[in-house]
Amino acid sequence: MEKALVIKELTKSYGSLIAVDNLNITVEKGEIFGLLGHNGAGKTTSIECILGVKKADHGSALIFGKDPCKDRRRTFEKVGVQFQQSNYQDKIRVDEICQVTASLYKKPADWESLINTFDLTEMKRKMVAELSGGERQRLSVLLALIPNPELVFLDELTTGLDAKARRTVWKYLEGLKQQGLTIMLTSHFMDEVYTLCDRICILKKGNTIFQGFVSEAIANSPYDNLEDAYLWYSGEEEHKDENL
Amino acid sequence: MKTFKTLFLTETKLMIRDMNNLIFGVGFSVIFAIIMGMIMGDKPAFEGADYSFIEQSFGAVVAIGIGATGLMGLPLALADYRHKKILRRFLVTPVSPAMLLLVQFIVNLLVSLLCLVLVYMVYALFFDFDMAGSFLFFILAYLLVLLSIYSIGMMLASVSPNIKTANLLCCAFYFPMFFFSGATLPYEIMPTALRNASDILPLTQGIKLMKVTSLGLPVENMIFPIMLMIVLAVVCILLSIRFFRWE
Repeated sequence: MEKALVIKELTKSYGSLIAVDNLNITVEKGEIFGLLGHNGAGKTTSIECILGVKKADHGSALIFGKDPCKDRRRTFEKVGVQFQQSNYQDKIRVDEICQVTASLYKKPADWESLINTFDLTEMKRKMVAELSGGERQRLSVLLALIPNPELVFLDELTTGLDAKARRTVWKYLEGLKQQGLTIMLTSHFMDEVYTLCDRICILKKGNTIFQGFVSEAIANSPYDNLEDAYLWYSGEEEHKDENL
Repeated sequence: MKTFKTLFLTETKLMIRDMNNLIFGVGFSVIFAIIMGMIMGDKPAFEGADYSFIEQSFGAVVAIGIGATGLMGLPLALADYRHKKILRRFLVTPVSPAMLLLVQFIVNLLVSLLCLVLVYMVYALFFDFDMAGSFLFFILAYLLVLLSIYSIGMMLASVSPNIKTANLLCCAFYFPMFFFSGATLPYEIMPTALRNASDILPLTQGIKLMKVTSLGLPVENMIFPIMLMIVLAVVCILLSIRFFRWE
C-alpha cells in the first residue's frame, strides 16, 4: 500500500548547528503520528523540510509518493498544513480568508460547516487581527482542513486553547481519522499525544531518541505514564537528578 | 478561474480597506491634475505651440498613477506578503506563483485605470480637454508603459531579500521617476543637462510616448521608446519569475 509519508535520512543544519540529523520516518495512511521534542529539538525544521518550505541538506521526503518540491501543485491538492505561527493579510476577515483558502483547491471542504464545528460562527465577519489567541489557533487548524486533506500537518495544534476547545479539536480529528485522514502533528502536551497519536518520534537536538508506538514508549521507560517517559527520553530527568 | 476570481475580489477589498494605494495612485494625480489646470489654464505648451499645456501634460499626469501603483503598490504588497510569511502559506497550497503575481498585477492595474479615468474627467469637465490624438493609440501606449513599469516593480519585489530592501529599492526607482521623468515637473521646462539625465529613466520615455499619442503627433521618432518599453517588460518579467521566492 502507498505510504502517506516517507522521510529518508533527512538532514538540515544552520551553519554549524545541526537542526535535524538523519531523520527516518514512515507514516501509514490513516495513522496519527506525533513528532515530539523540546523547543529547538528540530520539530518545526523537520516539518518545513518535509513540506519543501526549507531545503534539506540531505535526504528526501515523499508525500503520497510525490516530492513536494518538484510536484508542488499535485502534492498540496490533498495536503493541509497548519504552521506554528500563522500570518494573514492585514484587514482580512475570517470568512474572506476561508473563501480564499477554499478557492485554491479543486474539491474543498464546506468551510461554513467547519466554522460551526470550531465554534467561530460569531467571528465570521470579524477581522482576523481582532481574534483572541485561542480563536486564531482554531482558525489555523480549520484552514488546514479546508483542502479536504488526506494528510494534514499540524504544528502545535492546540497551543493556547482552553480545555473545552482542545476536546472539540481532538474529537473532530479523531472523527476524520475514522474516515481515513492521516495526521502528522507536533505537540508539547502529553495528554494530547496520548489521546491522539498511534506512533511517536522523540527528537533531541535533531537526533531521534525514540520512535515507535506510544505504549512502547512507556513500556521501555522506567515510568508508567507518557509525560514522565517523555521527559526521561528527552533528558529532563537527568537534570532533575543532578539538582537533587 | 474560481481561484483567480476569489483572490482578485478579496485583494481588491483589502486594497480599498488599506487606502494607501488609492491615495498615492489616484488621489495624488487627481489633485495634481486640478492644480495643473488651475495654474496653466489653456496656456499654450510653449510659445507658438498648436496645443495647450494641459493637453500636453495629460500623458505625464496619468503616469503618476502608473508609477505609484507599479513601483510602490505592487512590489510593496508582494514584499509585505513575503515578509509576513503569507506567501509561505500559499507555498503549501496548489496555487502557482504566476497566479499570485497576476492577481496583484490586475488589482494595481485597476487603480491605475481609475486614475486615468478620473484625471481625464477632471481635464475634460473643468479645463476643456479633448484628446487630439487617437484614443486607441493612446490606450495602447498607456498599456505598454504600464506593463513595462509594472514589470520593473515585480522584478524589484522578487529580487529584494527583505521588506527593508524592497522599500529602499522602490523608493530608489519611484522618486527619481516621480520628480525627473516629467510626471510632475514638466520635462519641457527642465534645463538641458537635467533633460539628458532624465532621458535614461524608463518612465521619461514612456511619458514621451503617451504625450505623442495623446497629442496626435507623428510617432516615427518613437521607435526607441517603444522598443525600450518592450525590452524592459520582457526582461523584467522573466527576472521576476526567475527570482520569485516564497520566503
